[in-house]
Parts: sequence; structure tokens; C-alpha cells
Amino acid sequence: MTTLALLQTGELPRLAQPTIAAVAVVYFAIVAAIGAWATRRTRTASDFFVAGEGIGLLALTLAAMSATLSGFAFIGGPGLVYATGLGAMFLLLPASVTSSMTSWALAKRMRLLHEVRGLITVPDAIGARYRSRLAQGLSGAAILIAVVGYMATNILALGLVIDAIFGTGLTVGVWVGMLITLAYSVSGGILAGVYTDMFQGTLMAVASLLVFLFTLKVGGGMGGISGTILAADPAFLGPFGKMGPLAALSLFFVFGMGSMGQPHVIHKFYMLKDPRKLKWYPLLVTIALIVTMLLYFGVGVAVKALVVEGRMEPLARPDDATPFFLLRYTPVLLAALVFSGVAAAIMSTVNSFMNIGAAAITHDLPVALGRRVKNELAWGRVATVAISVAAALLATMPGAVVAFLGIFGWGLFASTLVPALAVGLNWEGATREGAVASIATGLGVTLLFETLAFFRVYSFPAGVTVSGLSLVLAILVFFGVSWLTRHRAAAALDPDVKLVMSV
Amino acid sequence: MARRNALLALLLGTLAIAAAYGSAFLPGDPPAWAAWAMGMGTAVVMVASMALGAVNRGSIGRLGPAFAGVFGVLAAGFALALVLPPEAPGAPLFLGLPLRAAIVLIGVGLVPLLFLPLSYALTFEETTLSEQDLERVREAARQLRGPAARAAAPAEPALAPAEAV
Repeated sequence: MTTLALLQTGELPRLAQPTIAAVAVVYFAIVAAIGAWATRRTRTASDFFVAGEGIGLLALTLAAMSATLSGFAFIGGPGLVYATGLGAMFLLLPASVTSSMTSWALAKRMRLLHEVRGLITVPDAIGARYRSRLAQGLSGAAILIAVVGYMATNILALGLVIDAIFGTGLTVGVWVGMLITLAYSVSGGILAGVYTDMFQGTLMAVASLLVFLFTLKVGGGMGGISGTILAADPAFLGPFGKMGPLAALSLFFVFGMGSMGQPHVIHKFYMLKDPRKLKWYPLLVTIALIVTMLLYFGVGVAVKALVVEGRMEPLARPDDATPFFLLRYTPVLLAALVFSGVAAAIMSTVNSFMNIGAAAITHDLPVALGRRVKNELAWGRVATVAISVAAALLATMPGAVVAFLGIFGWGLFASTLVPALAVGLNWEGATREGAVASIATGLGVTLLFETLAFFRVYSFPAGVTVSGLSLVLAILVFFGVSWLTRHRAAAALDPDVKLVMSV
Repeated sequence: MARRNALLALLLGTLAIAAAYGSAFLPGDPPAWAAWAMGMGTAVVMVASMALGAVNRGSIGRLGPAFAGVFGVLAAGFALALVLPPEAPGAPLFLGLPLRAAIVLIGVGLVPLLFLPLSYALTFEETTLSEQDLERVREAARQLRGPAARAAAPAEPALAPAEAV
């Protein structure tokens, strides 16, 4: 496996049933109402990009959880478990650690940097930490590249869900999904996003928990499911499934350390009204994540057991695992909730991407060029529309184009942001040269080798992911160049930043 | 000292992971030690990242046992998954799962949840952010920026053009 593309690009089974369609309509109406309410409270660029006066702990928790999980957690993930066994769980297992790790390494310092500088983007933090426009611009460019591709694939996934529910056809589904998300994102900004995330996150967690209980009931409990699978395919329930230890453990590294470089999640730390409320953030968000990911595990193993028992025919496509299970083994109302939950997961992620993408265009890149956009709120809205339309156009292009753009997301974020931020905000010895070199390394290695792999020119051997290798190289370059330029470390720190790093 | 140790551990853990990736480029299947290097290196870098972020006034305070515990859980979980024999039909189940799967899913995937976020919360005041620390940052920000600077550029990062790369 050389590519980590957590995408849903395959067609879903037709779900057009009145109950499912009605629940989806109610869901979209609630989202629209929240968006309209938030629009009236969005008056400044700060409101638009970092929720103005700030949000509470519960809102932060649910917004971070919703932004973390895309539709992959509900459709692609269970399919991956069905296809590769427990090795697929190594994408999720780091969740028991990552929120605490991110809180210690980043949350406090980013929130305090916002306190002293009024930062609104993640590249802002890099620019402030290293007093470097180049570092800020490079990280902004990396974010923009990843965001457009990620958005295209997520909007395509949303189009697939809408098409499956309403029978609209894929192209109409893509544009309807994009327009709904855009409507509340462009008017209410991140404020609308955060409060729709609260609703969407709750929906996702409840749906996941209920489906998990159904998987246990249908499979005869966890013991029944395991016994059935062990009799036919013991390797499936091996700790690494059918992936092999190196590949599975590599996933743990990439999704563990990489979680500290996801800008659509970590930039929400700026929004917390009272920094001291971070105290309970890791506990709440970890529980929320684990509950919401129960479906990923439960459906994957339950469908495998059902297929082994002959109660379900082998799936032609692994991504059919969740739709088939829901339509055959759960009440239609629950199935409807889950499909709305899938749309919720995708929309909350897309909203976050719209926001940070627009910020990269109207804020980070101009700042890197020594300029400042005068009316960031208005231009932020224009940029949100522009990148959304671009992403929707890309989503309706041939599948290979979308798949190509979608492969850059997680790894590009991780390799360009983790060393400079998660290490750099905690180490005064880090230099701006080290930061620039590591960001450039992450950007270059990821783009080059993902492109070569996609066009089948060159692929890494089994067990090596581009995301993992580029993250490792970026960290080593960061250490190496910072050490070589260590005599300049003190010059890269402003007094207020130094204070934030010392607290 | 604590910061230096955390940085050293982060570097060594990353080198172990780099070695694991590098071994995959050798002819034939990856050597057996590659998975060990990846597993132990990952446990080290994640705990080192936490410790690096937790250092306050040169110390990680009472968090040492929590970090040691997380490292122990991750390292032991990966090690047992690598050394225990494969699953077989009819093998005893633990909480409904084969032994190695239970160790990984429950041990690695859930046990850290039981004490890591609680350790963060219970040491928050003394290690992460006290009311006094927060007020110190706010006061310093007021003094450093001054009324004129605040009025001129309330939300702009202070980049010094002459020194910017």
C-alpha cells in the first residue's frame, strides 16, 4: 500500500425509500436552519474564520470529532475491515492516544498564540513561531493543494450519497451537496460549521452506537462473530489482519503522529473561548471518537461473519458492507439516520476544508507575499465559493482525476505541519531554516512520489506508504537543518512567542 | 533535561521508523526486525511527543508514570502481537476476541483512554496551564504589544520583514 486515500468514490447501492429520503430532507432542513442562525452572528473575518468570541468545550469537542471523521468512517472503513481484516483497525487504534498527545503538544500553545497574536490560521502559527513569511506561505500552499483534492473527493462522496438516497444522478447529487454545504459555509463561516458540527457529530455518534449494537445482535455477540470467522478465516482476526505487521504498524504511525498535522482539526483550538477549558478536551473527544468509530469495526466484522455463514453473499465491492448491512438487518429508520450521518460526516469535513482553504487564499498566501487583503470577510466568502466550485467541477471529472487529487490529503498535511508545529512549538532550538526545509521536504516528497505511484511509474515496496516516509523524512530534515543552523535559533523567536513556549 | 530527553527520544524513534521503512527497499521480504523497529519506534515517538509538549519549567512533573505506562502498553501490545502464536479455530476468546486481537484492540486501542486523558486533566493546573500562567501570558501580551500596536494590527502575526526568510 503506497497511498492513503480515505475516500469514497465507488457507487453506493440504491437507497431510494420514502423513510430514508424523508429523514434526509429533515436532516438537511435542520442544517439549513442552523446555518441561517449562524449567518446572523457572522459579522467579521474573525467570526468567519475562528468563530469570533469563541466557543465552549462541548462545541469544540464535537466540531473536532466531526471534522476528523469523514464519510470514510461509515462506508469505506467498514469495507476495508471486511476486505483486509483487523489490520484496518490500525487506522483507528491511535485515537486512544492522539487527542491527549495533540493537547499536550499543540492545544495550549496554539490557543495561547491566538491569545497574544489573534491568529486565525494554522500557517499563522508557523509564521509567528519562526518569523518567516516563507514558512507561512509554503504551509499555506501545502494546505491549499491538499484541501482542493480532499474537497473534490468528499463532494464526490456526498454526491454519491445524495444520488443513492434521492436518485438524482451523480452530477446533480454533487452540485446539490456542494450547494447545501456552501450555503451555510459561505454565509455563516466556521461559526455555522461549528454549530452544524455539534448536531452532525451527535447524529454520527448515536447512529454509530446503535448500529454497533445491531451488529452484535445479528452476529450472536462478539464471541459468536469471532467464532464464525475463526472457523473459516483465522488470519482475518489476526492482529494485523491480512496486511502484514509492517504495513499495519506503519498505519499506526502515520495516523497517530499525522493527527497533529490536520489543520481542519487543530485550527479549532483557536476558537475555544476559555483556554483553561482544554482540561477535559482529551477525555471528551477521545470518548466521542471511539463511540463514533464503533460502526467501522462492528459492520466490518459482522458482515464478514454473515458472509462466512452464508447469510449474505460475498460482496462484489467492500464499500457495500455498510449499505447492505443497514438495509437488511436494521430498522429502516436507523438506516436512514446512518445515511444522514454519512452525509453529516462528509459535510462537516467539507465545511472545515472550505474554511481553511479560503483562509489560505485570502490570508496566508497574501501575508507570505507581504500583502494584506483589506476586507477578509468579503474575500473569504468569495474564496469559499471559488474553491467550492472548483472542487465540485473536479468532482464531476473522470474518476481518475478525482482519485489522483484525493491522494494528497492526510500525508501532505502531516509531513508539512507536524515537524514545524508539534515539535517546533515545543523546542526553542528549532530554526526557521529547519522549518522551511522540513515543509519543503514534506511537500516535495509527497507530491513527487504520490504522483509517480498514481501513474504507475514507481511505487514504494509493500509496507511503505508515501505519507509515512515523507513524514519521517520531514522530521529528520527538521532536526538536521535546525541543528546545522542552531546559532540562529534565538533570532527566530519573538518575546511573546518565547513566553508562550515557556509556559 | 526533560525536554532534551524527549527530543532525543523523538529523534531516535524516528530513526528506528526510518530504518524499518528503509529495510523494505532491500531485496526480498522485509526482515523480521523491521516490524519491531516500526512498532517500538512508533511507541517512542508518540510518547516523546507527549512528553515534549508536557514539559513545563524543565520538568514533566507527575506525568512520568503516565507516560511510562502508555509506552509500556503500546510497546507490550505490539510485541505480544508479534510474538504470540497465530489464531486457530476453536482457540479461547477474551472478551469475545482471539488473544492477540484482544491485546491490540483493547490493550492498545482502549487502555490508554482509561488513564491518559485523566492524567492530562488531573495535572492540568500544575503542568499544563494554571490561572497564573494564563494571566502572565495575557499581561505580557498587553505590555509587549502596547495600545498603539494593538490599534494598528490587532490580528496580524508580527513578522519582521527584515528578518523574514
